[in-house]
Amino acid sequence: MKKSRPLLYLIVLVLLFTLPFYMGVYALNVMDIILIYMALALSWDMLLRSGQISFGMAGFFGVGGYAAVLLFLNTGMHPLLSIVLGGLAAGGLAWLIGSAVLQLRGMYFAIVTLALAEIFRVIVRNLPDLTGGPEGTVLSQAIFAGNSTYTYWLVLTAAALSVIVSEVFRHSRIHFALTSIRNDEIVAKSSGIDVFKYLVFLFAVTSAIQGITGGAYAHIYGFVSPEGSFSVDFTLLPIAMALLGGMHSTWGPVVGAVVLGVVSEFLKLQIPYGHLMVYGIIIVVAILFFPQGIVGTLGLKMKRTGSH
Amino acid sequence: MKAVIKNLRGGGLGEFPESAMNLVSKLKQSNYQISVITAVLVVILAFWKPHVLVEGLQRGCLYAVIALPMALILGIVGIINLAHGEYMMLGAYFAYWLNVYTGMDPLLAILPALAAFFLIGVASYRAIIKYVLGTPELNQLLLTFGLAMILEQLANLLWTSRPIKLPLPYVSSSATIGSFTFGTYEFIYVGAAILVLAGLLLFLKRTPTGQAALAVGQNPRGAKLVGIHVDRTYLLIFSLSIALIGALGAIFMTRHSIFPLVGAPFTMKSFCLIAMAGIGNLPGILWCSLILGLAENFVLSFRGYAGWADILFFALIVLVIMVRSRQREVK
Repeated sequence: MKKSRPLLYLIVLVLLFTLPFYMGVYALNVMDIILIYMALALSWDMLLRSGQISFGMAGFFGVGGYAAVLLFLNTGMHPLLSIVLGGLAAGGLAWLIGSAVLQLRGMYFAIVTLALAEIFRVIVRNLPDLTGGPEGTVLSQAIFAGNSTYTYWLVLTAAALSVIVSEVFRHSRIHFALTSIRNDEIVAKSSGIDVFKYLVFLFAVTSAIQGITGGAYAHIYGFVSPEGSFSVDFTLLPIAMALLGGMHSTWGPVVGAVVLGVVSEFLKLQIPYGHLMVYGIIIVVAILFFPQGIVGTLGLKMKRTGSH
Repeated sequence: MKAVIKNLRGGGLGEFPESAMNLVSKLKQSNYQISVITAVLVVILAFWKPHVLVEGLQRGCLYAVIALPMALILGIVGIINLAHGEYMMLGAYFAYWLNVYTGMDPLLAILPALAAFFLIGVASYRAIIKYVLGTPELNQLLLTFGLAMILEQLANLLWTSRPIKLPLPYVSSSATIGSFTFGTYEFIYVGAAILVLAGLLLFLKRTPTGQAALAVGQNPRGAKLVGIHVDRTYLLIFSLSIALIGALGAIFMTRHSIFPLVGAPFTMKSFCLIAMAGIGNLPGILWCSLILGLAENFVLSFRGYAGWADILFFALIVLVIMVRSRQREVK
């Protein structure tokens, strides 16, 4: 089983990579959305593993998008470079905010991150000379001239990046440090873990991933706006996906993103107003009845049948 | 005449050092520090920009009356309700709905709103909140966040995102002092804030149920040991808070236009105020709200910079967290 794993990953990767050759444009667009939310869900879950909860995805997603678009427009650099720099900008901003706010954790941190999207939106709206103000900024041309194969590969790269970072975190010292912080911070501290440093680092890395994703999104759709780029969707959906799939793992958010991504495409057509309610219900039901999520529940069952 | 002088000496000068000491020791308490800062700001503002003073007072009281029920839940039930603003939004739609179907004035709808939202609070507590009380804070935050999204989208589904405003003639009443004209209707928030604060303090300090609730807030296990029904107290406090915030929604909608997202910023501002005052400090919330209200209206009064007023509370909460973390380190 263990030896066949790398082969399995390789097959999945090749399959995902060659998807554009036998899928239509609409299906590719749906895949784009799924992969974008997958990256967000994973980055959220990575921070959650330390016991800190962030509602700031939409904020850093939007910051990454704005930074990428503005860098591209003002300096004329390659859009891909601007996406990477946009991610770095989001990460740097998160590092600054985290250094101030992570001194106190738990609900203080959670509420501050909840306010972030709103705050960034206000700032962007009030700097019309730089950001285009309330109307936002439209790019004259989307990245790769709107070629859906290339854009798919771009978001695939972003999603793969978040999977890789998540797996690296899970199989390194950081994982043990974070798990011990989540379980008991005082014990973690007394075993010599610099809790504050780890948390700020993690917050910056996950926010940088969100920024990169936001930059890719902004370049693909060719515009940024205060309402669109900082939309609550980018906070709500990833949380629902990670909870549905299962927290504290890499594959939970991935599975959740695929399932909910397909469902959301359908819901959007059925209930144009208020389809987001379903995600709220998923969050509440998941917390109340199956906190392990799909992957966790299946994993438990498999373990049980395996041990018998 | 001599007697009067003697009295003055005896009553005034004799006790002076003692009362001064009292004042100094009181100043050391954060409440009084905050109130002194407020007083200085008020005097400056009264001469420079009187409309900022009046509107800031009204806005501050609105914040206070929204934050108080949230503080009650946080202090006694010990759970942070991220759906707080959404309950107010539902209260506002409730009053609107009553007005449309029965023609009832929104201010009269306060009473049915109190009753209806008490029941909604009971239902929310029994169906959802109860099950996350003993669990990690993370679950509580996620759950109430999910609840907020459900309520918000429910309103979106029922009434769409179109802003709604009832045409009520009495809300635009105004008064004039010299050359200075200001709206008088908004003083209803001042009245509501004082009423709610005084009512809650009386309830918590003077009634057996309130005392029991305070005890539960301090130590649920200890309260259980002396025979207080903890679960029932949680239920009562949660439902009471939801009733208050729902009724406030009815007042809120007379003056402001409402839409599904109208409540969300108030949740964050309320938490900011609670964090500023310190959890469990109800009068402190009123002072902090006044500061925030005055500060926001101060920024709003500068043409061209008005849009920045909405980030003041964020600056405040970051400041508060930094100060609090320093206090924690010193300890």
